[in-house]
Amino acid sequence: MSESKKPSLDDWKAATEKGLKGKPASSLEWSTPDGITIKTVYTKADVENLRSQDTLPGFAPYLRGPHTTMYAGRPWTIRQYAGFSTAEESNAFYRRTLAGGGQGVSVAFDLATHRGYDSDHPRVVGDVGKAGVAIDSVEDTKVLFDSIPLGTISVSMTMNGAVLPVLASYVIAAEEQGVPQDQLRGTIQNDILKEFMVRNTFIYPPTPSMRIVGDIIEYASKHMPLFNTISISGYHMQEAGADASLELAYTLADGKDYVKTAVERGMGVDDFAGRLSFFFAIGMNFYLEIAKLRAARMLWCEIMEDFGAKKASSKMLRTHCQTSGWSLTFQDPYNNVMRTTIEAMAAVFGGTQSLHTNALDEAIALPTDFSARIARNTQLVLQEEAHITHVADPWGGSYMMESLTQQIADKAREVMKEVDQAGGMVKAIEAGLPQRRIEEASARRQANIDRGLETIVGVNKYKPKDEKAIDAFKVDNKAVRLSQIDRINKVKASRDQSKVNACLEALTQAAASGKGNLLELSINAMRVRCTLGEVTQAMEKIFGRHTPHTSTVSGVYGKVWADDPQWLDLKKDVDAFAAKEGRRPRMLVVKMGQDGHDRGAKVIASAFADAGFDVDLAPLFQTPEEVAEQAVENDVHVVGVSTLAGAHNTLIPQLIQELKKKNAEDVVVVCGGVIPQQDYEELRAAGVADIFGPGTSVAVSARRVIQRISGQI
Amino acid sequence: MPRFDTDTYVQGVLNGDRRMIAKTITLIESTLHRDEEQTQDIIGQLLPHCGKSIRVGVTGPPGAGKSTFIEALGLHLLENKRRVAVLAVDPSSKLSGGSVLGDKTRMGRLMANNDIFIRPSAAGETLGGVARKTRETLLVLEAAGFDTVLVETVGVGQSETVVADMTDFFLLVALPNAGDELQGIKRGIMEMADAVVVNKADGPFEDSAKQAAHVLRSALQLMHHPRPDWDLPVLLISARTGLGIDEVWKAILRFQGAMTANGVLQARRREQNLEWMTALVREELSRQFDTHSEVRYLLPELRRKVSDGRMTAVRAASMLMQAFSVGQTT
Ligand code: B12
Ligand SMILES: Nc1nc2c(ncn2[C@@H]2O[C@H](COP(=O)(O)OP(=O)(O)OP(=O)(O)O)[C@@H](O)[C@H]2O)c(=O)[nH]1
Ligand SMILES: [Mg+2]
Repeated sequence: MSESKKPSLDDWKAATEKGLKGKPASSLEWSTPDGITIKTVYTKADVENLRSQDTLPGFAPYLRGPHTTMYAGRPWTIRQYAGFSTAEESNAFYRRTLAGGGQGVSVAFDLATHRGYDSDHPRVVGDVGKAGVAIDSVEDTKVLFDSIPLGTISVSMTMNGAVLPVLASYVIAAEEQGVPQDQLRGTIQNDILKEFMVRNTFIYPPTPSMRIVGDIIEYASKHMPLFNTISISGYHMQEAGADASLELAYTLADGKDYVKTAVERGMGVDDFAGRLSFFFAIGMNFYLEIAKLRAARMLWCEIMEDFGAKKASSKMLRTHCQTSGWSLTFQDPYNNVMRTTIEAMAAVFGGTQSLHTNALDEAIALPTDFSARIARNTQLVLQEEAHITHVADPWGGSYMMESLTQQIADKAREVMKEVDQAGGMVKAIEAGLPQRRIEEASARRQANIDRGLETIVGVNKYKPKDEKAIDAFKVDNKAVRLSQIDRINKVKASRDQSKVNACLEALTQAAASGKGNLLELSINAMRVRCTLGEVTQAMEKIFGRHTPHTSTVSGVYGKVWADDPQWLDLKKDVDAFAAKEGRRPRMLVVKMGQDGHDRGAKVIASAFADAGFDVDLAPLFQTPEEVAEQAVENDVHVVGVSTLAGAHNTLIPQLIQELKKKNAEDVVVVCGGVIPQQDYEELRAAGVADIFGPGTSVAVSARRVIQRISGQI
Repeated sequence: MPRFDTDTYVQGVLNGDRRMIAKTITLIESTLHRDEEQTQDIIGQLLPHCGKSIRVGVTGPPGAGKSTFIEALGLHLLENKRRVAVLAVDPSSKLSGGSVLGDKTRMGRLMANNDIFIRPSAAGETLGGVARKTRETLLVLEAAGFDTVLVETVGVGQSETVVADMTDFFLLVALPNAGDELQGIKRGIMEMADAVVVNKADGPFEDSAKQAAHVLRSALQLMHHPRPDWDLPVLLISARTGLGIDEVWKAILRFQGAMTANGVLQARRREQNLEWMTALVREELSRQFDTHSEVRYLLPELRRKVSDGRMTAVRAASMLMQAFSVGQTT
């Protein structure tokens, strides 16, 4: 055999460029939305001098995983997030899930509960039991966990705004099951910072909200040592539009602010840091998502060392992951099973500790029993059939993966530096900095997809010819609301009112004085059957209710489309309308009820303005009556309702009635968002002129709106 | 949009019919000539019912908290049984012509109340347009019985001058920042102001707000202020917590009292009326110029020549004016 020279990277380049007919090899490179370049080939040179090289799982900086054996010892926990309707219904669902291979309970509350309203409050008529389970008092919580042993099953609760009454009611439900606080294992999300940024289920302003977080950490460190007091969440940021490095950076920056808050109260880092956990989204950017989780662990270890953490458990980032719901489509929904599988694999390769996989009907409604089973089975197949679990950090040592891990870590460091310069996350959020970055990324992504520059199978390419609507899960929220109100009345009739008053008064006092632990006082209050709304209200008297600063970016969407003939045509139509009518088409974009999904509303507002519309963007959480009044005052041509949390059949017909009452029936009403096709007819019959579901290009919806308001269709 | 006859608009406004008030404002905002003519008729009929409100202009750098301040002040005024109209002028995008009208979004607590009327408007293409439309809208709301009119405009560009020229009291909202951002406020705006409020004196910003107020006070002492009998107040407020809002309103009332007593307010309004007349003439002239058939015929060619350097600007302008005046006299 002849000894041949080992080929160099230059040889590779030359050979590649021969095949590319004159184009440089770099033309094959792809830039992620974060601006990270993905190269065609990686070599040893890419990983030289990386500090994190050659480390081991279970040892600092934990880049390769928090545990030494990872899934070889014990696979990740399959934890499916669910909740709907009444406590009875959700309880039955959890029990079915546990019987079918689910390994923990993860509670999704309805939006009334999230925002601290009892089910009988007038502002939540459309929301009760719709997008999660309704909880008004301990009596509901007890039903929710009936026959689920809280001493052994770990419960995760996605609760942030109304965290005090909800956590308190869980503690009491356990107490009355005979399980003491110090045996409770589980997690409460309790991450209020990202609520102000992207999730929108805050109640109080930032300052008192951070006090509540501090009170919970402090209380739990004394009384609930096994309980995870915060799940610091990037998930919602990615779902709101953040790219991977923004998600990573803002999540860790939030984490830093929480640690600072606790330390400033005099707690030792090692006394609580082990109870902090994380939550990330895993989207379709396969390699980068794996790198993101690895980088997250490395960076958190550094951050905690800077805080002086000594214990290993303080420095190791443990995380839950959820596949991206945003990446799932309304069109051709069975494709979603493949998307979710790919994302689940990335989460697992990245070393997550627990995982939620989304159902194939994600963009249609809450999951059916069927779609929930497929989602869960996706993980069971990965765990039990694919032999993925035998190796810890299987991508370790890959030139590409190590290099990407470093690059995304560096990107995140840059963003974190910007946050530091703004004075930390609380101040940055107050100034709207992260929100703006995320909205820009969201608008750009939408434009790229709408224009077909990014492929989504079944949506903007390979569209199926004729599609039949699949079954959609439906909650009869009127019935749920009535049964909840019934139970509230029963609770109120049978409790000792003087104890109730005393507990609520104590909460108000503590809110005012800044003294006392609000979780402890809430536990007292829930024990004597105060309702969630009452506990919330007792503090709201002092703290007030936070009103968010709604802003939008401008020019981002239009820029991507600038030279597209379809877009230029649209703008011409808008200008022609303005010339004829004497003013630009004017649309009021609204969110009604407690639905805080505002990504779509913001994208629509911003993109329509780029197309030449004058857009009024209403604040979140409006009632139909308030919306009608604004439509009249602003004299808009059209009200565009964005609705994602299932209240459409209740609130949109009400809006149309309110407009009629004000002699404004000439105002056109259109809507968009997550609406099952089964509901279209009812909405049209109520007077909705047009419905634009997920995946509708703005170039299409804007043109149709123009045609509707000029009476062309 | 359906149009109505002049009487319907006028009666609707005088009866306080919110839908007709809104429709009248839309007519004012219209760029169509026939709408403009009808608007003048309507304003003519409404004028005898105007002039009874106090008109407050609110300006300041982007994000200073103008809208939040107006919300807080509006709540305070409602408690004092006043009827409040709010106008907010948003800059339009040069590129698309469209805009997101966001100010009202920040006034959530004021919504759906019969004693409040909030109307955000896009600034549109010309400054003259903003001036005419905002002034006329203000008059409509006065005729509809609102006794306090607040006009928000962002303090970049020139719209704040326009708003100062149609209000009785001009308020500058400053950021709690004594450094760079303070310098961002143009000296001209400071000179127009009747009061300066430093906002966000709460939570993490409290100290810097105090410092900013201090710096502003010393800076303003050096500045010449044209109003007699009036020491320009610098007040510390928090639109979020409501701190100092009461003081601001008291200052406005004090100003109104003093300036009515010494006749300055009346003089100011007379002056503003003259300016209004001049502005109307200018706007009409420029509209006629833009729509003049001979001018429109010549303009593209002349623009090309001037831009290529084949003709001087002076020569082209005089040709255009000549063409315009010829058409005019026939
Ligand atoms: C992103 C997302 C989130 C983000 C929201 C971030 C944000 N700030 O918006 C996060 C992670 C925070 C979140 C949280 C929750 N979510 Co969510 N979420 C989604 C998800 C995955 C995507 C929505 C989205 O933003 N898509 C991208 C935007 C651009 O699309 P779009 O809004 O549909 O708008 C397009 C069209 O519909 C149309 N359009 C929309 N509106 C309008 C208006 C006009 C005028 C026009 C012309 C066009 C138009 O044009 C747009 C462009 O194409 C959906 C599922 C899905 N794939 O749709 C679930 C979903 C909406 N969420 C759901 C739930 C239950 C929740 C929670 C309530 C869970 C809980 N119990 O705690 C929370 C609470 C949030 C809250 N405060 O309300 C459910 C709702 C169930 C239902 N309808 O019955 C869904 C459907 C998922 C599911 N199947 O379970 N969520
Ligand atoms: N802490 C604090 N924040 C405030 C206060 N007033 C306003 N803000 C915040 O400052 C931001 C801007 O407030 P806006 O009222 O929209 O400011 P604006 O001057 O009207 O802004 P533009 O109209 O966009 O120029 C928002 O995030 C408000 O919540 C205040 O008194 N204290
Ligand atoms: Mg404003």
